[in-house]
Amino acid sequence: MATKAETPMPPANADLQTTWAYLEEGVDHIMTRLRDGISYSKYMNLYTVAYNYCVSSRMHGNLDSSVGLGGRTGANLMGSDLYNNLIRYFVGHLTELRNTSESLVDEALLRYYAREWDRYTTGANYVNRLFTYLNRHWVKREKDEGRKNVYQVYTLALVQWKINFFIHVQNKHTKLASAILKLIESQRNGETIDQGLVKKVIDSFVSLGLDESDTNKASLEVYKEHFEAPFIAATEKYYKTESDTFLAENTVSDYLKRAEERLREEEDRIERYLNANTRKILIQKCEHVLIREHSEKMWDDFQQLLDYDKDEDLQRMYALLARIPEGLEPLRKKFEEHVKRAGQQAISKLVGEGGANIDNLEPKVYVDALLEVYRKNQHTVQRSFKSEMGFVAALDKACRDFVNRNSATGTSTTKSPELLAKHADALLRKNNKLAEEGDLEDALNQVMVLFKYIDDKDVFQTFYTTKLSKRLIHGVSASDEAEASMISKLKDACGFEYTNKLQRMFTDMSLSKDLTDQFKERIEQSGDATGGDINFSIMVLGTNFWPLNAPPHEFVIPREILPTYERFTRYYQNKHSGRKLTWLWNYSKNELRTNYLNQKYILMTSSHQMAVLIQYNTNDTLSLDELITATGITKDLLVQMLNVLVKAKILINEETDQYDLNPNFKSKKIRVNLNLPIKAEVKAEAADVLKAVDEDRKYVIQATIVRIMKARKTLKNQALIAEVVSQISQRFTPKIGDIKKAIETLLEKEYIERAEGQRDTYNYLA
Amino acid sequence: MPVLLVTSDNEQFRVEKVVAQRSVLIKNMLEDVGESDQPIPLPNVTAPVLKKVLEYCDHHQTDPLPTGDEPSADESRKRTTDISEWDQKFITVDQEMLFEIILAANYLDIKPLLDVGCKTVANMIKGKSPEEIRKLFNIVNDFTPEEEAQIKKENEWAEDR
Repeated sequence: MATKAETPMPPANADLQTTWAYLEEGVDHIMTRLRDGISYSKYMNLYTVAYNYCVSSRMHGNLDSSVGLGGRTGANLMGSDLYNNLIRYFVGHLTELRNTSESLVDEALLRYYAREWDRYTTGANYVNRLFTYLNRHWVKREKDEGRKNVYQVYTLALVQWKINFFIHVQNKHTKLASAILKLIESQRNGETIDQGLVKKVIDSFVSLGLDESDTNKASLEVYKEHFEAPFIAATEKYYKTESDTFLAENTVSDYLKRAEERLREEEDRIERYLNANTRKILIQKCEHVLIREHSEKMWDDFQQLLDYDKDEDLQRMYALLARIPEGLEPLRKKFEEHVKRAGQQAISKLVGEGGANIDNLEPKVYVDALLEVYRKNQHTVQRSFKSEMGFVAALDKACRDFVNRNSATGTSTTKSPELLAKHADALLRKNNKLAEEGDLEDALNQVMVLFKYIDDKDVFQTFYTTKLSKRLIHGVSASDEAEASMISKLKDACGFEYTNKLQRMFTDMSLSKDLTDQFKERIEQSGDATGGDINFSIMVLGTNFWPLNAPPHEFVIPREILPTYERFTRYYQNKHSGRKLTWLWNYSKNELRTNYLNQKYILMTSSHQMAVLIQYNTNDTLSLDELITATGITKDLLVQMLNVLVKAKILINEETDQYDLNPNFKSKKIRVNLNLPIKAEVKAEAADVLKAVDEDRKYVIQATIVRIMKARKTLKNQALIAEVVSQISQRFTPKIGDIKKAIETLLEKEYIERAEGQRDTYNYLA
Repeated sequence: MPVLLVTSDNEQFRVEKVVAQRSVLIKNMLEDVGESDQPIPLPNVTAPVLKKVLEYCDHHQTDPLPTGDEPSADESRKRTTDISEWDQKFITVDQEMLFEIILAANYLDIKPLLDVGCKTVANMIKGKSPEEIRKLFNIVNDFTPEEEAQIKKENEWAEDR
């Protein structure tokens, strides 16, 4: 409350001198002694006096009116006198402040500055409102007429502060900014500072930025020039020194932690007392000084972190280097090399010194070793590198490399797909150790992980088809669901065409089951017993879908089964006339009951073995020649088969080329399995598969060329080869030589021709 | 909480704060100085005029206050000479009172009321000849004939023919 007697208010038509004398006393009160308060009547009186002066239209003997009328179209507005007097007042007031500040430095200066700033801006807000009428009319008119440097009273106060106080203090060795920077530096050194004070002073820098064209808009000009620029320079210097010193005395791992911490601190600093606009330039500067400047050192240390599985450090290094452009590229390259090396080493260890174990490499062991390397590094990518695309690509590239080419495969590109297919076969067979359904599904998914990396997917396909056919023919598949699941995975990976054959094989199996049932029913109905006491089942398998070979030699069908053979042949031809049945005795099997021994045994045999054994129904002793004649089997193969029977002690071979039935055969098991694979056949199998693959590839290449040429009509040699490679490389990597051969073949067969006069261009011939 | 307003002729008006604050001047002052039970002197307003002004403020106490930084709304408000029914009835006063209300609205910074006043004057002028207007507002013609001819020529474009 004002206590002293108030000066009486001047009359409405008072002259400038009286008016201003009254106003100045009030303004000074508000600017310097607002703490003492102000009464309603004082406030109203000040407003009224300013208002009365502005609305008065008297001439007062001054020149204002004549000057005004000359250029203006509307009524004369009073106000310039008040405005100029306000300026004079502010200048005087600020000069005093400036003089008091002369002796102050550092924190004391900041405290003084902040306190005066608060008082000044609060007062200026009051004054601004008291002169509302001046703002609304005279100032507005001036501005409308384009005069620069005329402001609303509050803005005017800020402008004056900048010119008469701020700039003066700053001009003395940037006293203000240096004081702030000193505080910030001590905070960086771990000391506690008055952040509110720093914020207040910095905010005043922002307030002093006035956009000349639009005073409502803040401009950061003052802030940038007087604070931001020196601040960024100081930051750079500080962190350059600190990081150099720190790295000279500490490990890179420790430095990563420090850099991370520092970056977080600077982010905090922006939140606490800087203008948000500074974020970009400050963080960029810090990233440059703290990361970019030391990136070489980090790159160098990366390998070590990988070698010792330092997950946290890797994560940190990744996060830091991800912040700078091109920071990660060297890491990706190194990581790729690292994974390649790990894969190669794992396989070299398996293969042993000089390839000692190369021939009896277990598919499971091989696959597990590859998967282990993949899994470990995949975790690293996920955990430490946040599954960033570049690292995922590096991992894929490295895996593709060591999965297809390693010390177990040598130069062969077919070894890995072969082993992987064999592993899949082992998984899908009955009696594998993965009893749980979930485990099997999981193991199959793992197969698919490696499958993705296999170059020659057609080799895998061929091996897989062969293995699947065996599982189905011999009824040793673990479950239909698991088989279907695997096929659908392959289909997802490679498309319908890739698994078409596989699916047809399942169709054949179920059709065969129906066919067997129908055939049995027919026989029962006819009451024909010529077949004897034989239990018969059949599989009719499409030649195009099954990788099966017809028997390489003659076979004399034993008379015991001849009626059944003939009856089924008739039945089938009747049902599907025109189809050709080829009997694949080499894949058939039989079960024979013994009647000549005390104990009854069931002998499980191949059809060839059956043909041999059944001869002993009528003889006890037979010579090799007699057996050859009776069965039609070639001598080589027959000898091998007989060896199996002799070894099982079914037959006795005491004299050269003579085989007797062993009347004293004994076995612990009732069911005796004699149907063991013959070694020569096993080896031949792998070779057959590869031959089949080569054959397939020829056709795939030719078909692809024709398809491309049909679409393009005319194509140059190089372009054609490139197109073929790109289309086929999903299934396998074609050799350029093979493509050229295929082109030659197609030229001969006149699917395409050389364009006239151009040696390297082909035309398509419809 | 009511506030106490004192006119230049020393009459006291006790009104609700929300009504008094239709005057941006009073609103700003209450914000700046803080609330107290001091009377608020209004040296430029007499009791009959304030009574009339308060009648307006009371009726419009729930209207949104013009913010001043909405030039588009401001423009559209200025462009029309339409006056609402209540305002029309309210402003139907003798000429002297009309001018007093305009002056008070200007002084107290009540923009909508100032608009109503000015629009009313505009409507009075509309369609009248200079001579009629002079008569209406009791203005002495102090132009020389030459001056008048000159002004007429300059403002020819505005003539409604």
